[in-house]
Amino acid sequence: MPLMAGLMERFAVQRPFEGLAIAACLHVTAETAMMVRLLRAGGAAVSLAASNPMSTQDDIAAALAEQYGIAVFARAGVDRRGYYRHIELALDQGADLVIDDGGDLVNTLHTRAAALLATVKGGCESTTTGVIRLRRMAAEGALAFPVVAANDTAARRLVEGTCGTGQSAIDGILRATNTLLAGKTFVVAGFGASGRGIAERARGLGAQVIVTEIDPVRALDASLRGFRVLPMANAAPLGEVFVTATGSCDVIGAEHFAAMRDGAILANAGHFDAEIDVRALAGLARAVHPGVRQHVDAYELGDGRTVLLLAEGRVVNLVAAEGHPPEVMDVAFGIEALALAWLACAVSSNTGDKLPVGVHDVPADIDAEAARLVLAATGTTIDALTPAQQAYLESWRLGS
Amino acid sequence: MSADQLPFQVADLSLASFGRKEIQLAEHEMPGLMAVRAEYAPVQPLRGAKITGSLHMTVQTAVLIETLVALGAQVRWASCNIFSTQDHAAAAVAVGPDGTPDDPKGIPVFAWKGETLEEYWSCTELALTWPDQEGPNMILDDGGDATLLVHKGAEYEKAGGVPSPDSDDPEEWRIILDRLRNSLADEPGKWTRVAGNIRGVTEETTTGVHRLYEMARAGTLLFPAINVNDSVTKSKFDNKYGCRHSLIDGIKRGTDVLIGGKVAVVCGYGDVGKGCSESLRGQGARVIVTEIDPICALQAAMDGYQVATLEDVVQTADIFVTATGNRDVITAQHMSQMKHQAIVGNIGHFDNEIDMAGLTRWPGVRRTNIKPQVDEWTFPAEGGRDGHAIIVLSEGRLLNLGNATGHPSFVMSNSFTNQVIAQVELFTKREEYPTGVYTLPKHLDEKVARLHLDALGVRLTTLTKEQADYIGIPVDGPYKPEQYRY
Repeated sequence: MPLMAGLMERFAVQRPFEGLAIAACLHVTAETAMMVRLLRAGGAAVSLAASNPMSTQDDIAAALAEQYGIAVFARAGVDRRGYYRHIELALDQGADLVIDDGGDLVNTLHTRAAALLATVKGGCESTTTGVIRLRRMAAEGALAFPVVAANDTAARRLVEGTCGTGQSAIDGILRATNTLLAGKTFVVAGFGASGRGIAERARGLGAQVIVTEIDPVRALDASLRGFRVLPMANAAPLGEVFVTATGSCDVIGAEHFAAMRDGAILANAGHFDAEIDVRALAGLARAVHPGVRQHVDAYELGDGRTVLLLAEGRVVNLVAAEGHPPEVMDVAFGIEALALAWLACAVSSNTGDKLPVGVHDVPADIDAEAARLVLAATGTTIDALTPAQQAYLESWRLGS
Repeated sequence: MSADQLPFQVADLSLASFGRKEIQLAEHEMPGLMAVRAEYAPVQPLRGAKITGSLHMTVQTAVLIETLVALGAQVRWASCNIFSTQDHAAAAVAVGPDGTPDDPKGIPVFAWKGETLEEYWSCTELALTWPDQEGPNMILDDGGDATLLVHKGAEYEKAGGVPSPDSDDPEEWRIILDRLRNSLADEPGKWTRVAGNIRGVTEETTTGVHRLYEMARAGTLLFPAINVNDSVTKSKFDNKYGCRHSLIDGIKRGTDVLIGGKVAVVCGYGDVGKGCSESLRGQGARVIVTEIDPICALQAAMDGYQVATLEDVVQTADIFVTATGNRDVITAQHMSQMKHQAIVGNIGHFDNEIDMAGLTRWPGVRRTNIKPQVDEWTFPAEGGRDGHAIIVLSEGRLLNLGNATGHPSFVMSNSFTNQVIAQVELFTKREEYPTGVYTLPKHLDEKVARLHLDALGVRLTTLTKEQADYIGIPVDGPYKPEQYRY
C-alpha cells in the first residue's frame, strides 16, 4: 500500500489530527487496519466499528485491539442489534470527526446517539450508497455537520469501482460457486464504475454479458461498448449469473425470480443487501437449503427450479472473497485520509470560512495528489505541462 | 492488334509511379519476402520456372511477383477477383522497376478493378497463355480459378466437348463454359498440353484448397499441389489477423457507420470468423455468431459470443458478415426480412455466400448504386411493411478487398513468404511431390515466422540443449508435432 505508507511518514510529521478523536465505521480488514494506524500516526485517537455484520475479519480486529490498542468493536456474524450497539460504542469513545462506510454511523449519530452530535465537526463517507443517504439527509435539512463524499473522485471510481469491485465481485462468485464463466450468460445490473468493471471482467472470462440500466447515458455507454442492454424482466429468463451493482433496492425481485432458469446464480456487489429482494425470494421458495457450499444458499422454488443466492444477498466481494485488493484500498483510503486531513484543517479554521453543513466533494487537487503519489510509488513518471502549454490552455485568444 | 494480344492489360499505366511508391513502402512492411529475396536471389532457384499467378493484383502481390522474378522466375499474372485489383499496383508491375509508362519493362499482368465476369475469365486465360504456346510450368493460385480452368479445359478436351450449362447454374459457370468452348474451337488440345507441362500449383486460400482435396479424392487432380493456406503462418495469420484488420476497414470505408453499439452477425467461426468477431467486438459491436460445426460453435460461446441461427437474429441485427466458405448462407429470403439499412457483406472467398442471384431475381427489388462497391437494394413494400432497403457491400464479393485494400502488407508477407517457399519446393524437388496435395513442412512454416520477428522487435528465447532434450525436440526446431493446433 505505497500511498498510505507515504502518507504515514507525512502525517507523522504534520500531525493533522493532533488532539482529535475519530470514530470510524469501516469493514474490519487488513487495509482498514492500515487506515486506522495512519490516522493515529496523524495524531488522532481512533475508535472503530464494523460497517457490515458479516465482513469483519476477527483476526484483524483482535490485532488492532491487542497490538495497537485501538478501541475496536466488531465481530463477524454479529446480529443486527449487536451491530448497531458496536457503532454506538465506537461513537462513545469520542467523535470530533467520523468516517463512515454506508451511512450507518452517521444515521446512528442522527438518531439513537443524537446526544453526541454536538461534538462532531465533520466526516467522510466512503461509499456511494452512504453518499446517497447523506445527500437525502442534507436535502431534508437533517444533516448536522459537513461531510466529504470520498466515494466519488475520478481516481476512486476508476481504481475502486471499475478495478476493485470489478475484480473482487468476480472473485467472490468464483470462490463461492466454482462455476465456469466462459459461455455463460452473465447479467450485470447497473453500469456505473463498478458494474462496468464487473461486466468487462466477466466478458474477459468468456461470458456473454447483458447489462441492465435505468440511466440512458450509461445504457448507451454499455451498448457502445458492445454489451447487450435489456430490462431486467427480459434478462431474467436469459441469465445464468446475475450480479447487482446499482446502489438501489429491489433490482431483482419476485417477478424476475419467477422467470429465471434453473440453477441461476444471484450475487450482489452493491453495498447493501437490498438489491436482491431476498425476502421475496424466500417467499417464493418451497424450501431453502442453506450452505450447499460456503456462502451459497439454494432456494428451491415451487416448480422444481432452484436458484442459488450468494452471501445472503450481501456484498459478495467482501463476504465470499476478500474485498478489494490492498492496491485498491490504498487509493481509496489514501484519498479519504487526505480528504480527512483537509477537513480537519477546514473545520478547525479560525478565519471564519468554515466548511458549511452539507455534502462536499473531494477537492480535485487532493484526488490528483493521491494519484501522483501512487504513480511515484510505482515508478511511473508522467509529463508536465510546459509554461508555454500552460499559457496556451489558459488563453482564450489563441485559436487555430 | 486485338486487345488479347497486348503484352499486358491494366487500367492506366500512368498510375505506375504511384504504384511504385506504394510498393516501396510495402517492401518495408514485408520483411519475410525481402529476406527470401536476399537469401535466394544469388542461387536463382526459380530459374526456368514459368509461373502463372491468379491472385488479387494488389501492392502486396506486386512485392510477391517481384520476389518470384528476383528468384529467377518468368511470371504472368491475373487477379482472382473482379474488384480486388489496385490499378496503380497493376500498372507498376506492368511497367516494372526499370521501365517507364512509355517503355514498360515489367511482367505481363492482366487485371483491373471492376472487370466484368467475361473480362475476368479472359484475363485468367491470358495469364495461362504463354507466348511460346507451352503454357506455364507452375501455377500460383488463390481460390483455384487458374487450376480450375486448366483442369476443366483438359477434362472437356478429353470428353470431346464442352457441356451446356444447366438453367439453374450461376451466370459465371456459363461464362466459363463459353470461354472453354471458344478455346477448344480455336486451339484444340491447348489445355491438355498446358496441364501436361505444369509441375505443380501452390494454393493460397481455403476455398481453393477445398477444391484441390476434392479433385485429389476424385482422382482428377493432374499435378501436385501445395496447400499454402494451411501453413500456420498463413491461415492463422492471414485469415485471422488479416481479416481482423481489413473487415472493419472495408465496412467503414463502405458505409462509415459507427460499429460501437451495433449488433453484428458473423456467419462462421473459423479462423476468419474469429478474427472478424474480435475486431467487431473491439469496436464495440455486440457480436452474434452462427455456426454449423459444434466445435466452432462451442468455441464462440466460450469466447463469450451469443451463438444463434441466422433466422433467430435476421430481423434485429445491423451488420451481417459471411465467413463460411459455403454457399447460400444469407439468402434473398433472409435479406427480405432484415432491418432497414442493414449492412450485408461477405469476407469469404467467393460471392456465393450471399445469394446475390436470388436477390437480383427478387420480385420488385430495386438496386441503387451509392458509390463503387456499395449498393442499396430496396425491397418492395409488402404486407403493411414499408419498402425497406439493405446495403450490400462489394456485390457480395469479399468486402475487405472490394471496399478496402485487403490484408495489410505485414500479414501478406507471412502468406506470400509461404507461397515463394512453396514454389521453390515444388519447382526444385519434383521427385518429392508426386501428384497429391501437401502442406509445407513445419520447419519451413517456422522459418516464415522467424523471418518476421526482427521487424516487430521480438526477442525469441533459445532452448538450452538440456531443455530441448527434456521435451525431445531439436534446439532449432521443429518445435511442435504435426498435429499441434496453435
